[in-house]
Amino acid sequence: MIKRYLAFFITLFLLSPVTYGASGGDLKPVAIDLDNKASLQRGAQIYFNNCAGCHTLQYHRYSKFVNDLGISEEMIKKNLILTTYKGEKTKLGSTIVNSINHDSIKEVFGVVPPDLTLTARSRGSEWIYTFLTSFYEDQTRPMGVNNVLYPNVNMPHVLWYKEGLKELDENNQLVIKIKGQLNQKEYEQEITDLVNFLTYVSEPAQLERYSIGFWVMLFLVIFVFITYLLKIEYWRDIK
Amino acid sequence: MSDNNNSSNRRNFLTNLTKVMGGVGAVFAAIPFLSSMSPSEKTKMAGAPIEIDVSNIQPGAFKIVEWRGKPVWVVRRTPEMLEKIKNDVGYLADPNSNEENQPQYAQNKFRSVKPEYLVLLGVCTHLGCSPLYKPGQNKDLGLEWEGGFFCPCHGSKFDLSGRVFKGMPAPTNLEVPPYYFASDTKLIVGADEG
Amino acid sequence: MTKFIAWIDERLPVTKFVKNHLSEYYAPKNFNFFYFFGSLALFVFILQIITGIFLTINYKPDAASAFASVEYIMRDVEWGWLIRYMHSTGASFFFIVIYLHMLRALMYGSYKKPRELLWLFGMFIFVLLMAEAFMGYLLPWGQMSYWGAQVIISLFGAIPLIGESLALWIRGDYVISDATLNRFFAFHVIALPLLLFAVIYLHIAALHTVGSNNPDGVEIKANKNNDGVPVDGIPFHPYYTVKDIFGLAVFLTIFMFVVFFLPEFGGFFLEKDNFVPADPLKTPEHIVPVWYFTPFYAILRAVPDKLGGVIAMGLAIFVLFLMPWLDRCKVKSIRYRSISYKILLIAFIVSFIGLGYIGMKAPTYTLTLLGRIFTIIYFGFFILLYFISKNEKTKPVPERVTMHD
Repeated sequence: MIKRYLAFFITLFLLSPVTYGASGGDLKPVAIDLDNKASLQRGAQIYFNNCAGCHTLQYHRYSKFVNDLGISEEMIKKNLILTTYKGEKTKLGSTIVNSINHDSIKEVFGVVPPDLTLTARSRGSEWIYTFLTSFYEDQTRPMGVNNVLYPNVNMPHVLWYKEGLKELDENNQLVIKIKGQLNQKEYEQEITDLVNFLTYVSEPAQLERYSIGFWVMLFLVIFVFITYLLKIEYWRDIK
Repeated sequence: MSDNNNSSNRRNFLTNLTKVMGGVGAVFAAIPFLSSMSPSEKTKMAGAPIEIDVSNIQPGAFKIVEWRGKPVWVVRRTPEMLEKIKNDVGYLADPNSNEENQPQYAQNKFRSVKPEYLVLLGVCTHLGCSPLYKPGQNKDLGLEWEGGFFCPCHGSKFDLSGRVFKGMPAPTNLEVPPYYFASDTKLIVGADEG
Repeated sequence: MTKFIAWIDERLPVTKFVKNHLSEYYAPKNFNFFYFFGSLALFVFILQIITGIFLTINYKPDAASAFASVEYIMRDVEWGWLIRYMHSTGASFFFIVIYLHMLRALMYGSYKKPRELLWLFGMFIFVLLMAEAFMGYLLPWGQMSYWGAQVIISLFGAIPLIGESLALWIRGDYVISDATLNRFFAFHVIALPLLLFAVIYLHIAALHTVGSNNPDGVEIKANKNNDGVPVDGIPFHPYYTVKDIFGLAVFLTIFMFVVFFLPEFGGFFLEKDNFVPADPLKTPEHIVPVWYFTPFYAILRAVPDKLGGVIAMGLAIFVLFLMPWLDRCKVKSIRYRSISYKILLIAFIVSFIGLGYIGMKAPTYTLTLLGRIFTIIYFGFFILLYFISKNEKTKPVPERVTMHD
């Protein structure tokens, strides 16, 4: 009987990695570490300085950063909340939206910049990371840049002042043409922080899910053991 | 025979252990479900402290603001009004505010931090209607009436400090929410100072 | 206490009920691994009801706010994420449990006389469950919810004459819209659960009338002792209650592991595209039903004709209803049946899993061909079974049940 249960377990666990290997081949890996609060905080700062002007995180609230990322209310109000609502500074408890006029921004970029709350879930963290490190100069595009991962994307390379500007060489490799404020390693670290932050935003429950899960598992494994002994004990009657 | 006894002991022990563990598990499992019904982040943040600018309230006037979906009154009382607020009167049910319907810093006859400004939760302690502000004398409300709040639902009367009259349907004085003055004109309602 | 129970019993036969269904309900003593899934299915049903109620508290069945309300549950409601993951994982586990439960019936002939009605009720539960899951999947109002529903409802349009008006009537609009979401919500949270509850009741009532089958396919009621108790039967309580509690503990361990550590299950339980709000103007690149529908979806695609595909898919489910009459072999358990039946059943299982895999993938030439082969095997199982089972060479069935392990 035990053997059969084992077989069932093993099949189930063998199935799980298969499902994980499914993501695309040409995406660059990114080291997501949601326990790294410093990285998440840096990511938040990068996001609000560079991205929040056009993109929203409309399902998330500023106030969540207090407990989740360990940023104090004052810091959030001072450094992260850059928008106003009805003439007053946006409230701590409000969702992270901006006051962009959809029609006028569509005229500039051709599309409304998408909400980014769930991008790390719908496209994946690796996709965002690869996307933000794949811009290159292309004068034929309205924004002067193109993207290897997402050809003809309408988004300008907002972080070019940090990364510099890359171009495609004859081997289709990206090489730096104009230097930015950061070297490649520093830029990749900043993007990792940003992706880390967006991964957190896509599912804040991840911060607690694993640690609670551990205790639940521990309880259940003990419970399985006890109930197994119980079953064996009663079934000694059955000949 | 002893074998049988051992077995039944072991059986009872395991049965009880399973029951206890199952019970504990069920209690823990119930926690997420029950706490999911408590106020969400959105609701809690909507109940965050609010700021009120009191500089534009005229003496004797009254302002209503919303906090946690309830009306909060700010009354700027004139010196004449303050004079009429006394403790040694027979018609009040709880003139010294002994019932805990206010933060400690508002447990005085003016029921406020600064006598000039009265901050009250505009919800009748009877059944939750919002009383009306009736400044000045008013024959209809009785001879003792020197101004105050009158609940239209069941006729409860409160004085200019929100203290309830004797023999009213409302059992206690009107509630004072936690508040403090961040500056001379900036009033924060919903939090204690510090 | 005894007085109180006596008082109750005079007015409501509680003690009799407990006796009839637990302490003096005799089940064969040789149940194996596959016999856990009945009680587990009941457990998952209750779990889905409870988690569902708590989701309803915060969910908004409105096209403009449905998606946001799910995210609200995921981040603003205390523990909302856990309840939502339990519900979404529960849906998938419901089907895992049900498919294994049905496989058990096929292996040990649990649909045969006198259990035909039991099987029919079970099949009704299966169909209702598919409808329940399908409608529930629209509610998060993501891209997959929207386009999945669009495709499936359009299938009704294939029915001659009334098809288009039927699809229109189901949707309540020309496309999937707010009107569709609202009615699916009503069906998902009240109409179908009530029906399911009723049919599950009938399923269990029928089971307790005829008694459980077992891996040997021996009728234990044919062999009773002087007290009228089946010699191979043991009281459900305590023996199967403790066994099922153990099974439940193992199940919960696996289930909660998925809930806490793999809630998306690599896109099988929660699809990536469903984290994008429904957009009627943009179809996702691959529209894939959730895994538990893919075998039937693959059959639909295997037939190169719209109406034909719909008929094939409907038939694939309907033919299962006929099992008690298609299988004419008197021997129930696979243990004592011919090698040809064993091969047939294995081929059927392989084709079902194969179809499930194909249904998830974009149609290529090879996969389409493979899908057709598996579809033929799927239906071939029922046709061949009808003929093979007539004069099947079976092994002798023992008088009494046998104990393995």
